[in-house]
Amino acid sequence: MMKRPLVFGLCLFWALVTLFPLYWTLVTSVKPPTAVNGGPTYLPYIDFVPTLQAYIDAFSGIRGDFISPFINSSLISITATALSVLFGTMAAYALVRFEFRIRLLSGLIFAALAIGGFLLFNETLGFSRAQAMGLAFLLALPACLLANRLPLPGPVLGNNDVLFWFVSQRMFPPIVTAFALFLLYSEIGREGFKLLDSFLGMVLCYTAFSIPIVVWLMRDFLAALPVEIEEAALVDDVPRIRIFFEIVLPMARPGLIATSLITLAFIWNEFLFSLLLTTSEWQTLPILLSGQNSYRGDEWWAISVAALFGIAPMMGVAMLLAKLMRSGLTLGGIR
Amino acid sequence: MARVELKGVSKAFDEVTVIPALDLEIADTEFVVLVGPSGCGKTTTLRMIAGLEGASGGTITIGGREVTDLRPGLRNCAMVFQNYALYPHMTVADNIGYGMKVRGMPKPEIATRIGEAARILGLEPYLDRRPKQLSGGQRQRVAIGRAIVRQPDVFLFDEPLSNLDAKLRIEMRTEIKNLHRRLNSTMVYVTHDQVEAMTMADRVVVMNEGRIEQAADPITLYENPANTFVAAFIGAPSMNFVPATVVGSDGGLALRLNDGSELAIPQDRWQRYGAAKDRPVTFGLRPEHNSGGGAGEAVITLITRAIEPLGPHTLIIGEAAGHGYTAQVDSHFPAAPDAQVSISLDMTNMHLFDPDSGRAL
Repeated sequence: MMKRPLVFGLCLFWALVTLFPLYWTLVTSVKPPTAVNGGPTYLPYIDFVPTLQAYIDAFSGIRGDFISPFINSSLISITATALSVLFGTMAAYALVRFEFRIRLLSGLIFAALAIGGFLLFNETLGFSRAQAMGLAFLLALPACLLANRLPLPGPVLGNNDVLFWFVSQRMFPPIVTAFALFLLYSEIGREGFKLLDSFLGMVLCYTAFSIPIVVWLMRDFLAALPVEIEEAALVDDVPRIRIFFEIVLPMARPGLIATSLITLAFIWNEFLFSLLLTTSEWQTLPILLSGQNSYRGDEWWAISVAALFGIAPMMGVAMLLAKLMRSGLTLGGIR
Repeated sequence: MARVELKGVSKAFDEVTVIPALDLEIADTEFVVLVGPSGCGKTTTLRMIAGLEGASGGTITIGGREVTDLRPGLRNCAMVFQNYALYPHMTVADNIGYGMKVRGMPKPEIATRIGEAARILGLEPYLDRRPKQLSGGQRQRVAIGRAIVRQPDVFLFDEPLSNLDAKLRIEMRTEIKNLHRRLNSTMVYVTHDQVEAMTMADRVVVMNEGRIEQAADPITLYENPANTFVAAFIGAPSMNFVPATVVGSDGGLALRLNDGSELAIPQDRWQRYGAAKDRPVTFGLRPEHNSGGGAGEAVITLITRAIEPLGPHTLIIGEAAGHGYTAQVDSHFPAAPDAQVSISLDMTNMHLFDPDSGRAL
């Protein structure tokens, strides 16, 4: 008897906890400076007279350029999300439907040849670092693929190990990758191919960093799909790639949308890579936001406006996609 | 022209052999049903014919073409699955036409074939619906339609009726049988339901533990089961098995049961069972070859345990000579639980099996 009101009360409490910061940002953005710097004020028209001055300031550009980071963030996050969901889903599908057997030793051969090859090309043969890296990779990859076909001794890794390898890339702190990426990008930049502070560079690093999450999420969605539907198509001589695009992807739509949403939010909000890998041209919104209080001090009304610029598009996308994310799409295909 | 031939086909998953070398020949236009308990390898066999499962050994030939290592799409088979396996996001028409579209068939031709299949299967009013708007029977018809338009060498059915309710199952049974007559093509059908097997097949292949126990037409299976497995599997309720000894009596042969009672073996079987004289055997008799009362020559006493009136007849489940025994009697035969009744046996339908190997004598 007492349970329902209790649960309702707890839910209400939690809703308030999550919604209050949003409300606080919203009202702060319409407060005049006096209403911010005095004691706390909560209700517009009662505690203070709202003003749109902060918005006018933001659009007039006196708080820095909002428009180009916004466009940068949109372009980079949409492109990187699309790429990582596409390739990640393909990888997840492969992990669900095909059996991989990877010899640990061939992986070690890759590592040895990549590192050894780099040292050889760079230090002995005098190639530049980026060239040596590229050459070592070209040497190590085919060698390890060939080695995997030989009956090498040692443990053989299966699909779950491959999945773990994907996920493990997200286990260490991102700063580790961020520094390595910065060095890699600047070495490649020295060869005349600009990756630092470029669209391509940002899309590449976000795609690479998002794929593990996509693989991990999509694997479960794809594993839940009935294999018989694909088998029916196989018997009907439908090529695997068309099965993937025309049958599997439509059936996995709810999962694809959920995964895209998570990936998009991650890339949209990502700070560290953007901080290290961009300088001016391709700066993203989070960098702009973090720089807000250094422009003219703690002008919280202005910072709130900037924060809302970062929040609003994501909320819009989430609401739109949630509508599309009706489940039960495979209903009827099988009993 | 599509004979299907399996020669020494085997299947092993890792170290476990599920199907030891198996030989099976399916004639052109034949309707063959693979039947057996779950895990007997019937579905694996079907999937190996379809190419969805690779054979670990042996060769598979369809229409004179060896297909053992061909991918499923090149074997020209059509398969109908137990759970229908329709494309959920496509309409009925698209479901039926998808394969043809992928193979690049001209649109008018696709439309003609969809129309033809829909007409045969009575799907015309539903062509624009999605699978989830259809009933189970209609969904399975769509799956069959998808198979028909392929114009395959051989149709493969994997328990297609198991998800339907009893009434619909009987209707679809007739429908598939009529379809076979009409298309005049080779069909391989897997089921665990012996009634489905018996009613539909030209030839029933009874499988157990990856081996073929017997392959014959339904009546032969019923009348001359090759072993106790087939005898027990075919027919419902199952055949009664009672241990007995063949003894000589009055110049002829008789069966002595454990309780000492003797049942005379009909004269026309004397020669056949002569070699088994003085040896233990398993005596088999179907419940329907019994009748209530002690009128006949071979009579046993049955201690009734349960009585199941079915309408046309009644089953008495009980014990005879210390073994479980079921007899089918007239609906009005007076019987009460835990009482003794006399049952007369129709010994012209008797079977004898070797108690060790289970083979029919």
